[in-house]
Amino acid sequence: MLSVLILLPLIGAVVVCLLPIGTTKLPRRITLAFSSVSLLWTIVLAFNFNPVDINKQFSEFIPWIDALGLNYHLGIDGLSLPLLMLNALLTCIAIYSTDALERPRFYYCLLLLLNAGVTGAFLAQDLLLFFLFYELELIPLYLLIGIWGGQRRGYAATKFLIYTAVSGVFILASFLGLVWLSGSSSFALEGLNTSSLPLATQILLLVGILIGFGIKIPLVPFHTWLPDAHVEASTPVSVLLAGVLLKLGTYGLLRFGLNLLPQAWSYVAPWLATWAVVSVLYGASCAIAQKDMKKMVAYSSIGHMGYILLAAAAATPLSVLGTVMQMISHGLISALLFLLVGVVYKKTGSRNLDVLHGLFNPERGMPVIGSLMVLGVMASAGTPGMVGFISEFIVFRGSFAVFPLQTLLCMIGTGLTAVYFLLLVNRAFFGRLSEQVTNLPRVYWSDRAPAIILALLIVILGIQPVWLTYWTESTTTALSTANVVATVFKR
Amino acid sequence: MVTIAKPSNHPLAEYVERLQRGEALLRDTPENVIEVVEILKSYGVVIDAYSHNLIYIAENQFLELFPFFKYFNGEVNLSKLMRYMWHDRINFEYAEYCMRTMLWHGGGGLDAYLDTPEFIKRAKAVIQAKVKNNFFINGVNQLFPDFLTEQLRVSVYYSGLGQFWRVMADIFLSLYDRYEQGEIKSVPQIVDHIKAGLVENASKPITYAVKIDKKVYEIIPASENLTFLADTAIPYVEAIFFRGTPFQGTVSYNAQQYQISHDQGKFEYGALYADPLPIGGAGIPPTLLMQDMRHYLPDDLHEIYRRSRRGEDDLRVQICETFQKSMFCVTSAAILGLLPYPLDTQDANQQEQNLVHLEKWVTRLQTSRLLDVNK
Repeated sequence: MLSVLILLPLIGAVVVCLLPIGTTKLPRRITLAFSSVSLLWTIVLAFNFNPVDINKQFSEFIPWIDALGLNYHLGIDGLSLPLLMLNALLTCIAIYSTDALERPRFYYCLLLLLNAGVTGAFLAQDLLLFFLFYELELIPLYLLIGIWGGQRRGYAATKFLIYTAVSGVFILASFLGLVWLSGSSSFALEGLNTSSLPLATQILLLVGILIGFGIKIPLVPFHTWLPDAHVEASTPVSVLLAGVLLKLGTYGLLRFGLNLLPQAWSYVAPWLATWAVVSVLYGASCAIAQKDMKKMVAYSSIGHMGYILLAAAAATPLSVLGTVMQMISHGLISALLFLLVGVVYKKTGSRNLDVLHGLFNPERGMPVIGSLMVLGVMASAGTPGMVGFISEFIVFRGSFAVFPLQTLLCMIGTGLTAVYFLLLVNRAFFGRLSEQVTNLPRVYWSDRAPAIILALLIVILGIQPVWLTYWTESTTTALSTANVVATVFKR
Repeated sequence: MVTIAKPSNHPLAEYVERLQRGEALLRDTPENVIEVVEILKSYGVVIDAYSHNLIYIAENQFLELFPFFKYFNGEVNLSKLMRYMWHDRINFEYAEYCMRTMLWHGGGGLDAYLDTPEFIKRAKAVIQAKVKNNFFINGVNQLFPDFLTEQLRVSVYYSGLGQFWRVMADIFLSLYDRYEQGEIKSVPQIVDHIKAGLVENASKPITYAVKIDKKVYEIIPASENLTFLADTAIPYVEAIFFRGTPFQGTVSYNAQQYQISHDQGKFEYGALYADPLPIGGAGIPPTLLMQDMRHYLPDDLHEIYRRSRRGEDDLRVQICETFQKSMFCVTSAAILGLLPYPLDTQDANQQEQNLVHLEKWVTRLQTSRLLDVNK
């Protein structure tokens, strides 16, 4: 069942590649069809998923290379299922939001490969298999930024590639260390026991994992590739980058850091919480200083990913639940914000807050886009009634008992989010429409539709968060309990 | 064609010279002709409705402190109420906005008359007759004797503006009829038509009488000699075209910060100055007028708007821009109609006087949208 989610985009990529040269609309339609079937398949899986069962479900195991200890082993639990759904949904939205472009067959083929890579990483139950999928998504993303990006796309794509390759080195080294030092005969995630390793070794391995995934998340000071990548990437690629790909980093932290090295995790947790504070406050401070709307949203992402680190560091049942909530919440909200910034850029030709004013103008501006932007920034700032509030509340509520000071400092980040996003809305949308943009082209419902879908999800999950926690609560509770047991064991 | 005796040194000399030649402030192009004639047609329909309602309010809702159904013109039924609630209606509020602007800025014989003992005497008689059986209002009148008199002054302006628009609606609608018959082909011809209409009705008397218990009370009798041009048209042009009132989107309402001049002579918020971009926003009175005109646009004008970059997505702003063009034509007619001497005079002294008159008006237009509508 799970292989379908990987095979569908791969088959789709092949089909798109085989289309005759010169076809313009067909690649998009075929890609959308394959990704829509993937989304539907994920929904079918979700309805057949048993949320109470904390074991991996729908497991698939095919022996692959015995000598290496590598097996094709897939499975899902409450941690990966919401991320799979997010990935499937945002891929559909990214494809739908793509305008006519050059070399469409290659573009859509890369999008489908990216989707397959990310899906595989979320499904992999083997460390080496995870790493293969993790690296697989790197190439399409590099090309998507490098070919269809902005003026400095070469620089941004190369920087992304170098950072992520370094991230891969750290992750691979840690995975190899984990398996070899623990005496395991394979890279299977299940049954990997690190409790016999000396604490110093565990910490060393965890540091490798933290740096590797810290680059991907990204956490300060490994973040500098992200604003460049976002600014140069096209809107659909930014949607996927912020919405899904950064989540590979946080997913990796939970799955391989907290889950496999709980003892070391509890030891370094106070440092992680402090690191989270730095990331949150630095990201927010940088966002305040930005004039480019997209860069502001990118720095906002850095800040918001810090909340996940804080919650993961606390590792209480509630805070780990908060990490998943925050991943989904950030995925939806950042995707919405990038989509909206993309529409503004497409219509005005600018993202500069010194140029853009009065876009709320009811006749010549883009009032619906502006309204959705207000909703998006309110959700990002944690306004009640939206999923951003629920996720941040759970993160702070779950983390406060363990790290009260760090939690309070991170809460300042929420206030700062309101500051920079209000600055964005106030500058770009209120006041008199700029002279430079008084003759904007029409905004069509097709421009608005993807953002409206995301906005609806943000509100619905904000009002009914149990529809999200339902899938994941048992898994996250088990994940945190493992940490608690390990802490007790250490004492 | 008029020979220009003396060239102007005015910064907007081009426009002064156009007026000296009897032309319009608006450039004469085929598209401008279509736009102006057709927008004035829809404006004519709308101000026709406005005028009927203003006159109805003046004659039937005067001294009513809670005139709940004043926009219903005396016909209140469930279907009309439902349409009103659904906002399927003319925005009569805009007519009241113009009326209040005229009342605020004053000017002309109508304004002067309202401060005369004759008016106050007539007002008292009307008030006595109206409130004699109303214990509460009678008490209010005893306590605040100026209150109801002031209400009656407002009613006078309702009537005055209603009568003015009654005439203008016919001028604009007949312009469209002549255009359809092929008689109007240029912007100067439009200006001539409007000027002729103004001149023809210049001395039309402005009167106002109300009926209470079958007895007629004259509030503005014909003997006061108030006339259409001097006492309503000129104050209207001054108040609505030139001065106006500030509204959100043009300047801040924060008078305490001196963002609005206390000197009414420096008010430049009228139709010739207003920024069309805020149109469509809540709290922007001209939005209401543009919404109303939208329902009566001729097909050709729709076609012109559809050809623009945003199609009809910004219809109300486009209507406002066209409307401003038409208002410069009306202003041209008013300026030419008020010339102290005939345009074709050969007397050098009279030509000089005419030039002074034209330059004075054009100077006031320096900060207006004159250059924008001629781009």
